[in-house]
Amino acid sequence: MLEIIATVVLFAAFAADCFLLSLHFIHMLQLNSYRNERYLRWMKENRSAIINQMGWLLLATLAVSCFLIQPTDWKVRLACSILFLLHGYLNIPKKAKKPLVFTARVKRLYATYFLLTALVAAAVFLSGMLRISLGALFLWAALTCFAVLAANTINGPIEKKIAGWYVEDARKILKSMENLTVIGITGSYGKTSTKNFLASILSTKYNVLMTPESYNTTMGVVRTIREQLRPTHNIFIAEMGAKNPGDIAEICELVKPKYGIITAIGEQHLETFKTIENIINTKFELADSIPQDGIIFLNGDNEYIRNRQTGKKAVTYSVNPGSGCDYTASDISVSREGSRFIVTAPNGESCVFVTKLLGAHNIQNITGCIAVAHTLGISLSEQVLAVKRLKAVEHRLQLLPNGYIDDSYNSNPAGFRAALDVLSGFDGQRVLVTPGMVELGEKQYELNRELGSYAASRCDYAVLVGENQAPPLKEGLLKAGFPEDRLFVAKDLNNAIAIVNSLPDEGPRTVLLENDLPDNF
Amino acid sequence: MKTTVAVFFGGRSVEHEVSIISGIQALSALDSSKYDVLPVYISKDNNFYTGQHMGDIKSYKNMDECLSKATRVIPVAMDGRAALMRFPAKKFGNNIVAIFDIAMPVVHGTNAEDGTLMGMLEMLGIPYTGCDVLSSALGMDKYAMKAVLRQAGLPVLDAVMFTSRQYGLNEEEIIGDIESRFGYPVVVKPVNLGSSIGISLANDKSELKNSIDTAFEFSHRVLVEKAVQNLREINCSVLGDIDEAESSVCEEPITSKEILDYSDKYLSNAGEAGGKKSGMSSLKRRLPADIPAELEAKVRELAVKTFKALGCSGVARIDFLNNRETGELYVNEINTIPGSLSFYLWDATGIKFPKLLDRMIELALKRHRERQALTFTYKTNILSDVSLGGAKGAKGKA
Repeated sequence: MLEIIATVVLFAAFAADCFLLSLHFIHMLQLNSYRNERYLRWMKENRSAIINQMGWLLLATLAVSCFLIQPTDWKVRLACSILFLLHGYLNIPKKAKKPLVFTARVKRLYATYFLLTALVAAAVFLSGMLRISLGALFLWAALTCFAVLAANTINGPIEKKIAGWYVEDARKILKSMENLTVIGITGSYGKTSTKNFLASILSTKYNVLMTPESYNTTMGVVRTIREQLRPTHNIFIAEMGAKNPGDIAEICELVKPKYGIITAIGEQHLETFKTIENIINTKFELADSIPQDGIIFLNGDNEYIRNRQTGKKAVTYSVNPGSGCDYTASDISVSREGSRFIVTAPNGESCVFVTKLLGAHNIQNITGCIAVAHTLGISLSEQVLAVKRLKAVEHRLQLLPNGYIDDSYNSNPAGFRAALDVLSGFDGQRVLVTPGMVELGEKQYELNRELGSYAASRCDYAVLVGENQAPPLKEGLLKAGFPEDRLFVAKDLNNAIAIVNSLPDEGPRTVLLENDLPDNF
Repeated sequence: MKTTVAVFFGGRSVEHEVSIISGIQALSALDSSKYDVLPVYISKDNNFYTGQHMGDIKSYKNMDECLSKATRVIPVAMDGRAALMRFPAKKFGNNIVAIFDIAMPVVHGTNAEDGTLMGMLEMLGIPYTGCDVLSSALGMDKYAMKAVLRQAGLPVLDAVMFTSRQYGLNEEEIIGDIESRFGYPVVVKPVNLGSSIGISLANDKSELKNSIDTAFEFSHRVLVEKAVQNLREINCSVLGDIDEAESSVCEEPITSKEILDYSDKYLSNAGEAGGKKSGMSSLKRRLPADIPAELEAKVRELAVKTFKALGCSGVARIDFLNNRETGELYVNEINTIPGSLSFYLWDATGIKFPKLLDRMIELALKRHRERQALTFTYKTNILSDVSLGGAKGAKGKA
């Protein structure tokens, strides 16, 4: 009797551990777009973490298997169960920024994975529950990362068929909507915010559908079309991401954009593209697929974009008045109400715009959207209200009503500099509150010192948060001639805010909260 | 892919039958190359029915047979669209009878045109044509409408309003007040009724009392206003929304009686129900109205202002009262869903019925877009962070 109970408990514990382990690996597989080669690369990069996680299962395999064919009694089985449960408990996945989504595909993947696991369990049971059999159970659990890979490979052909069917279905839907105008957006960065801006502005006149969140793959576009496209829509905005050459062309082949925007080209994903030329060519697949009566909108401030011929009707936009671009934003100023700028269209029409958003990159993207909307028949003055209502993403250069600029989600030095540039544009008293940049590796001290020097001429007061992190910033600030009596070191954020509140009253105060501050400030 | 438009008609209203005619007129006029049309009939007891045959006016000659062939449904919201669910539901199988993208209410009178139906569509969260809840309600309540129009500086007749209870307690006082303020003749109206039902003219005290009694049969609130002398009625339709609206040519309803009443408005020539000539469009009228250009311009301007002041959308008809001799001009009432959707006025203005319906649908989508851009809810659940002990405690004490 005890034998039977122990066996049942053992298999239950085994199944539980396998489930908990596979959660993590299937999640990783999902994040790597179910592509085996990307998943393998991820495994390679995280080799040590995986070994840490799975290693003692391997040890258990060895330990149990020592006495190869010795039969096991209930005590051994129970001990193994406890080991499985403990391992599973310790490996319950933590809350992720982008958690695992239980799509139909993930469910199919689980079905196959569990079938494989059940086969292993059945084989073990039939072989008579010898020591080596229990070893096999541990081995199977230890190799979950490969088991998931195997399940994905088995499902591959089926998934391809299913995906193909979805693509054709989406194509049919698009075909039935002759009057739908499709706009594609791509670029190394700024795609998602440009997409959101454009959808808001075009909604003043049209019924607009856009790919939600950061859906930017073929399947993301397909899903949007199948689930959300309605006959009442006039315009469909598709965000197009690329990790490999041909990705953009594939999406374009499906949605056939009449208009396109290339927001920016930089060195993102250089490791998969190998060269910057490959990146440029891939982004310009969008321009290549625009029909002769279509228009490609190009960021004229980006040198990679500017220097490239398209052979299509191109409209350029810029935040540099002297650039000779078709649409330019000029006279940019910042204040408590946000950014104010003038956009001039090629027909000479110009209009003052105000937005809550800060930063040259935002103005640049908005100007591109204004150009598209103007081309689609919305006059500049009709767009003013929509631009005014655009919303900043929380904690990303977000202007708060109390004069604080919340840039606490920024985590790179370039963003830090851009935020300092914005701060320096304000009148009145300008205060920087920051713990400096962290997690930059060995260059951290050096980079923070450079940021300190950069900040010296762009703020009137600096409050550095955290005594340990302050020295490099302080060194940089002082070296660039920042007056020491305007420099404070606070032990935490509350202390920093108290210091800010005790500063002398010198006109309107603008406070930049830069990097890594708690959410609920 | 075509847009599915559900046309709602009927309803618990004295203008039930007229609404069926208007609804089916709209159904048949919707451009079939763009839209799939779904008839949704609201019975006199406010139940919803659908069925292929419900788009044909002949089906309604025998109502029992019509309903027995139909499927009773309830509308529910579904992923940004709306579905008609079979009711009572079958135990097995699919209970979704139809799915639609846009609703087009073509209902007349209380319990429907007054915002009731719009409130339901608002709950469904789908785009719908015509006025929203508030403007529909204002359009139906003649007293509230006067108040809003007066605030907007538009010409309306002074009126006395009282409830049946007030009248029962102070009949003589109220009559005296009316006599001293307006003299005779006066017009007596139920406050919240479409059409002209319950409205009558009183030339002396006994007629006034009779008229008030009649009016109280239809509403608990009655309104009395001075009758305009040398009366000429002028109607004008408006198409658009609060941002932009245009007016149609004007018409002059012709009647042998002093006030256009229900039988004039809807029953004359209504024998050949089914053709596009039936309903409001068959009423005897002069179209375009035989009035001086100056007056016509004034009417059209006031019509657009009235439409915007009430926050209307889609198509509405505004009826004016004009004293031929003195030239005085008053906004009398607004029909937020006019009989036959005033298509005959737009036809005479150069906009064909299918085009008129297209425009109404575009306006519905515009309003829907604008509403979606507003903040109505917060993503976070405020209750998730608070201790609910207090709420429970409060309940305990109650």
